[in-house]
Amino acid sequence: MFNKSFKLSPSKKKTTENGNKDKTQEKEASESTIPSSSIAFVQAIKDATHHPADLIVKSIPTKLTIVYIDNLVNGQTLSDHIIKDLYKNTNEIPETIKSQLSIPEVKLSSELNQAVSAMLNGTVLIHTEGYTQVVLANISTRESRGLQPPENESQVIGSQVGFNESLSTNVSLIRRFIMNADLCHESFTLGEQTNTSISLLYIKDIASEEMVNTLRQRINDLTVDALLDSSVLSEMIDDNSLSPFPQMLLTERPDRFCEGLLNGKLGIIVDGSSMAIVCPQSFIEFFQSREDQNLRWPIASFLRLLRFSAVFLSVFLTPLYVAALTFHYEVIPQSLLVPLSESRSLVPFPPIVEALLLELIIELLREAGARLPTKIGQTIGIVGGIVIGTAAVQAGITSNILIIIVALSALASFTTPSYMMGNVIRVIRFPIIILAGFWGFYGIMLAFCFLLTHVIRLSSLGSPYTAPFYPPRWIDWRDSIIRLPIPFTFSRPKSTRAKHRKKYEPEPIKPEKKLN
Amino acid sequence: MKNAIQLNPKDMINAVLLFFVIHTTQVGVGIQGFQRIVYQDAKHDAWISVLLAGLATHIIAFIMIKTLEMYSSDDLYGIHQDVFGKWIGNFLNCIYLIYCIAAFFTILKNYIEVIQTWVFQNVNTWLLTATLLLLIIYAVTGGLRVIVGLSFFSFIFSLWLFPMLIYPLEFTGNSSLFPILESNMAGILKGAQSMTFTIIGFELLNVVYPFVKEKKKVKKHVHLGLLMTTITYLCFMLVSLTYFSEGQLNKTIWATLSLFNIIKFPFIERFEYLAICFWMLLILPNLCLYLWAAYRGVIRMVNISLNKVVWIIAFLTFLSSQVIQTRTEINKFNDYFAHVAFYIVFVYPIFLYAMAVLKKKFSSKKEHV
Repeated sequence: MFNKSFKLSPSKKKTTENGNKDKTQEKEASESTIPSSSIAFVQAIKDATHHPADLIVKSIPTKLTIVYIDNLVNGQTLSDHIIKDLYKNTNEIPETIKSQLSIPEVKLSSELNQAVSAMLNGTVLIHTEGYTQVVLANISTRESRGLQPPENESQVIGSQVGFNESLSTNVSLIRRFIMNADLCHESFTLGEQTNTSISLLYIKDIASEEMVNTLRQRINDLTVDALLDSSVLSEMIDDNSLSPFPQMLLTERPDRFCEGLLNGKLGIIVDGSSMAIVCPQSFIEFFQSREDQNLRWPIASFLRLLRFSAVFLSVFLTPLYVAALTFHYEVIPQSLLVPLSESRSLVPFPPIVEALLLELIIELLREAGARLPTKIGQTIGIVGGIVIGTAAVQAGITSNILIIIVALSALASFTTPSYMMGNVIRVIRFPIIILAGFWGFYGIMLAFCFLLTHVIRLSSLGSPYTAPFYPPRWIDWRDSIIRLPIPFTFSRPKSTRAKHRKKYEPEPIKPEKKLN
Repeated sequence: MKNAIQLNPKDMINAVLLFFVIHTTQVGVGIQGFQRIVYQDAKHDAWISVLLAGLATHIIAFIMIKTLEMYSSDDLYGIHQDVFGKWIGNFLNCIYLIYCIAAFFTILKNYIEVIQTWVFQNVNTWLLTATLLLLIIYAVTGGLRVIVGLSFFSFIFSLWLFPMLIYPLEFTGNSSLFPILESNMAGILKGAQSMTFTIIGFELLNVVYPFVKEKKKVKKHVHLGLLMTTITYLCFMLVSLTYFSEGQLNKTIWATLSLFNIIKFPFIERFEYLAICFWMLLILPNLCLYLWAAYRGVIRMVNISLNKVVWIIAFLTFLSSQVIQTRTEINKFNDYFAHVAFYIVFVYPIFLYAMAVLKKKFSSKKEHV
């Protein structure tokens, strides 16, 4: 009877997962042991990995064989700490090797599968002739790009470091921000082909157990072939995957991620992806920038209000133009109507065609700008913006005023601090323009009501998407479309169902501090 | 009680939200043109009628809550079944259900008429009906949480309409209000009765009540909501009485919209065009709640899913909206509906309360014996 999207755990493909488990168990039973002879061992490894060209096998007198994959291991460590040690060493029992190697992560294993998957992760396998155990020495190294400022979420004030594609680097960045033993880090593996590592992070003392369980459940229930980016994961574990609106935040800023964790949210990092997932996220939070916390509160509030009005402007300005000029001339005052009709006097199309044409051109420019290399992208922007714009007006295809309106709404849609949400705003404009062309203000209102209903129906990890406005949580309004000074915003948002609602006990506010 | 509704705490709403629910279900199409109807009976004392009608809503709401409080968590349909037994109870439920659908239909029809008269003369009725119905179906199938959400946002987003009354204030003269109490009492009372169509909506508390979390706070928020409505109507009535002349008000069907006519901004004229389209947001919670209330009645008698009920009622509404088309027909239907609504909303709760009290006394005696 109630909203379906409020269900906390969607059951997704449980049966297939069980089926896969059975299969892997069978496999393990048939070929899991490690042969005692070196030659058979190397052959087994080669068979398991289908004779890769980068597999390196090296024999060390008298009984040792080491196997690893080139470029996955750190060459310096390999020669300094493994090969050197092994040459010196006379005792060749795996147990002793394990205890004597000067490397932090050394394990023993007697299962071939485990050894192979460890090798694919950058582990050196050390096999002794005559033993069915093998030493796994982890000296993996990953090629990753250095830390760079976040490109899509740049900020004037605040930390200038962004996530990169390495999971371990990203987790270490977060640990730098939150030096807390309560910071929980759970690891998952997803993707039957890719075996991508995923980390779920939350602060035990703050995050709601129920939400953690739900999210864990959703990740465990997934069966995917490959997972190449976190955005795909976020779409799969969203409450409503069919909605155009993202229900989880994708961010490349560690500070934004940590802010979420500190508010009781949960974070997911996917290996190989520079965007991290933060959830639950309410609609309004997509329009808040991390920078708002760094600026003084009146300025931050002003910027937030500006951004929210920009969203409305961006979505409704062009449709209003179309509606007014197609159906409701009476609404436009005389003094404004004259320049409007003057500029439209040469245009041969009805307003809806004119508007759609220009919006499409802007979208084309934008898409071209995003695909081209940075340097050419700028040039294309200038060529497109100035040349096409001016020429279109001079050729009499569009009116001057529409160019201003379209440019304004395009500009406004860039102010959204989340790229995913910015895209939604950019796209939902089109159906509204078309409705405005058919039914004028009625069409716009219809679209608005549909959007409003849709947004109310959505939820993010079971908590309402329209929070804190509806259901009304008055205290959270202090940090919503405006931001009150820090002494007033002492509570965590209720939508995260944090264990401790207050960040600290508020003290009486002293406006001015006097020197003693 | 045997009929008590078992609810998941997640499905329940805060008592604060009742304020918005009550207020937004009352304010809808009625406010667009209630001035003329009341004025015809009460003349320039119409504002007293508005006050009286507001007072009546408070009294009735008080009695309604008393009745509901006797049953810890039950709606009107369950109370009917408990007080009158299964057969008569279900018969009464049917009547209430039909009343809800009729209210739904009337609101929809009136709004479409306003749109056709003011904004789009040439757009087909069926097209407007179909689009609105689709929107409502989408909202109602989301459940009470979504409907109450719409009420809330409808209130917040329409707050800006209130200050718009300042524009016509410039052209008002309060001399037309005097002398006070010139019309006789009967006229004023009759005017108050004419407010029925405009002021109903709060009776849906009967159905929403079991879904409220803090039952103790219900009273406060319901009465606040009613007060807010009365103040709104009073303001609109006072401004209209002083703005229009006597003859004008008698002829103006949609006085509120005509009031908005005067509003001018540097970039917008003929403000009522915007306002009428914006009114969709105001009637949306109205429509959704009536439809939802009808659904609650249906599931008391038949085991059926929300989606089915909503689609069936929407389809029936769509068909019947093709029958009633002209202004006179709509007016007639409004009058009939207002008549029936007066008895269902203002008279019946008193009777039901009396019956419930009697039944309780009767059954407690039985238990003692």
